[in-house]
Amino acid sequence: MNKKTALYGLFLLAVLAALLFRLFQLDMRPMHHDEANQAVKFGILLEQGEYRYDRTEHHGPTLYYLTLPFAWIASGTSFSALSEVTLRLVPVIFGIGIILLSLLFKDGLSLEATVFASFLTAISPAMVFYSRFYIQETLLVFFLVGAVAASWRYTRARSPFWAAASGFFFGMMFATKETCIIAFATMLAALFLALFSLKNHSQPKDTPLLPKISHLFIFLGTGILVSLLLYSSFFQNPKGILDSGLAFGNYFNRAGSAGFHSHPVYYYLKMLAFSQYGNGPIWSEALILVLALIGGVAAFQPLSPGESNPFFIRFVTFYTLLATAAYSLIPYKTPWNMLPFYIGFILLAGYGAAFLVRISKKRAFQIAVVLVICLGVFRLGIQSYSANFTFYADSRNPYVYAHTSTGFLSLVKRINELSLIHPDQSLMLIKVITEPDEAWPLPWYLRGFARVGYWQEVDEAGALADVPLIVSSINKTNQLQTYLEDNHILEYYELRPGILLALYIEQNLWDTFLQRRK
Amino acid sequence: MIKKISLAVLFLSVSVFFVLGGVVDSQSTDQEKVVLELKLPKPMFVGTPRNIRSPNLEKITGKKRRPFYVPKGTELLSLDKPVTGSDTEPIIGELEFVTDGEKSGEEGYFVEFGPGVQYVQIDLEGSFHLHAILIWHYHSQARVYRDVVVQVSDDPDFITGVKTIFNNDHDNSSGLGVGKDKEYIEVNEGRLIDPRGITTRYVRLYSRGNTSNDMNHYVEVEVYGTPAR
Repeated sequence: MNKKTALYGLFLLAVLAALLFRLFQLDMRPMHHDEANQAVKFGILLEQGEYRYDRTEHHGPTLYYLTLPFAWIASGTSFSALSEVTLRLVPVIFGIGIILLSLLFKDGLSLEATVFASFLTAISPAMVFYSRFYIQETLLVFFLVGAVAASWRYTRARSPFWAAASGFFFGMMFATKETCIIAFATMLAALFLALFSLKNHSQPKDTPLLPKISHLFIFLGTGILVSLLLYSSFFQNPKGILDSGLAFGNYFNRAGSAGFHSHPVYYYLKMLAFSQYGNGPIWSEALILVLALIGGVAAFQPLSPGESNPFFIRFVTFYTLLATAAYSLIPYKTPWNMLPFYIGFILLAGYGAAFLVRISKKRAFQIAVVLVICLGVFRLGIQSYSANFTFYADSRNPYVYAHTSTGFLSLVKRINELSLIHPDQSLMLIKVITEPDEAWPLPWYLRGFARVGYWQEVDEAGALADVPLIVSSINKTNQLQTYLEDNHILEYYELRPGILLALYIEQNLWDTFLQRRK
Repeated sequence: MIKKISLAVLFLSVSVFFVLGGVVDSQSTDQEKVVLELKLPKPMFVGTPRNIRSPNLEKITGKKRRPFYVPKGTELLSLDKPVTGSDTEPIIGELEFVTDGEKSGEEGYFVEFGPGVQYVQIDLEGSFHLHAILIWHYHSQARVYRDVVVQVSDDPDFITGVKTIFNNDHDNSSGLGVGKDKEYIEVNEGRLIDPRGITTRYVRLYSRGNTSNDMNHYVEVEVYGTPAR
């Protein structure tokens, strides 16, 4: 077996590792508030065929349209038959796709570096965690990597196909999340910086040639067409196109006035380098950060591992630096927002690992370096298992952010149990009276109930005394008691750490429930 | 004869009328009864909620507890008294924490038992009339402990003479009987239970996990009373 075949074998092993970490027990973690929001929005598209871009929430349309085939195969057009597994399979597949796409720039990064980067992508706790999370971020990273890969291939082949592919991926980025504008700006700046840094380079083949004008039109045309189609809901909602531009005003405001999502500049890097909360375990992806640092420095060294390309490596280095700075300087931060720049760290880490192996030609040294890196990867794998299968909804996990508590599932279980003995069953009336952010993810979990209403004020919810089930925020219980005529029993459930929900169960229903249990 | 026939016809007619009337009536009732179509408001889409990772020491709801009156001479009986439990090797902390007088909500002041039904038991080392029991399970975060049951007995094994003075296990999931007391949210002023002067030596407090996780915690338990004569 030659070295190349062995490296491709290892690449397949990385894909297999990615599958193992991503595919199993996708329904174990309760749905996050944001996941439920996305799921309900998708449910409208699934059942009514209707999608309208909302420039204030939910981000772009790709997630919903790309979920459609998964849902059709798994459960047809019924929203209530949909499961967490089906929804989360979407980011899982795109998360694995990130690794597959990286093969397209193996001649930029070198095959050795691509294999190292594939393992790190497959196993990184952050990458795995958000590949199992039904939000846009993993798709955004997939399209970002696709855009870089297709553009890179264009510089090698200068064919209209790669120009169109590049346009497609950039268009899909735009149609996925508004924050793509940060990636666009930093990629453009990184392109110029990489070209500038190689201005006096002796090998002209290392610097990409300018695109043909016709290819530029193909690139722009494809990108614009893709985003127009998606934002206009395939021409059903032309206003969506305008809104996709107007949305930036809203998101610029949000980025500046982050409220309780405002975090310090070092938030992301600290989280990746070292985190420990309470008596929880220590989390660190420092291996990737250190290898990326080595890769970044190596990008400017004459010794390059394998068949790598100085322009490509420097582009990745500049992009990673600029995107990290941009995301860190924006006050609004949520942990999943780091993925678009963290993928840069991972690619550089792959390059750094390959560079370390090549520092010395002594076989023993190379084996020692590979072993040390393998140990580090193994350690990352253990963390990834903990983050995704043990601390999957535990606030001591740094990637768990405002997540729904596992205890919330007991509330869902109780509602389902009670509905089975209620004469109306799934038509049983349920009134939810909560603060807006305390209603979620109930709409997802109560999707099988036809008569569920959501209010924010007790006095707007109509008659309450005979309602079988009422879910309320804790701060509404005092007022609610005055409406209930002592006809309900009360239970508490945790929605998120520190936030409880009250469940009022109509007394007769409760008595029947207890009798049936006996 | 004609009279009899007339009466029979009349009876038959009335019967038919009522039967048919009943059928018609029931049909019309069925037709009139339809499921009330309610226009229920949809949930409002909102952005990512606040991430709470640090302990929340604020009180969640309710007012300050009103003054609680006890007989003159009532004193704290439980301070530094021996504590046993269903788990002799707690996951975190020591059994002694339960009666050491420290009520801080921070790390290092509570004892943690594993999942399932667990208890702590305080030996008052004598017979007393109990006038108040205060319990702090864990008050750094808004939580509700499941199936809180407080029992007293003069038997250290709680086999004979067991009396339940508080039980909020409303569905009997802990198997100690259905309780009528309400669940409550942990706050820093603790939960006050009125034992109504019951005479006993041992106090046992059960729980079965909480809204946040399956673990059982005790920061402090205070038992107040007067010596039994």
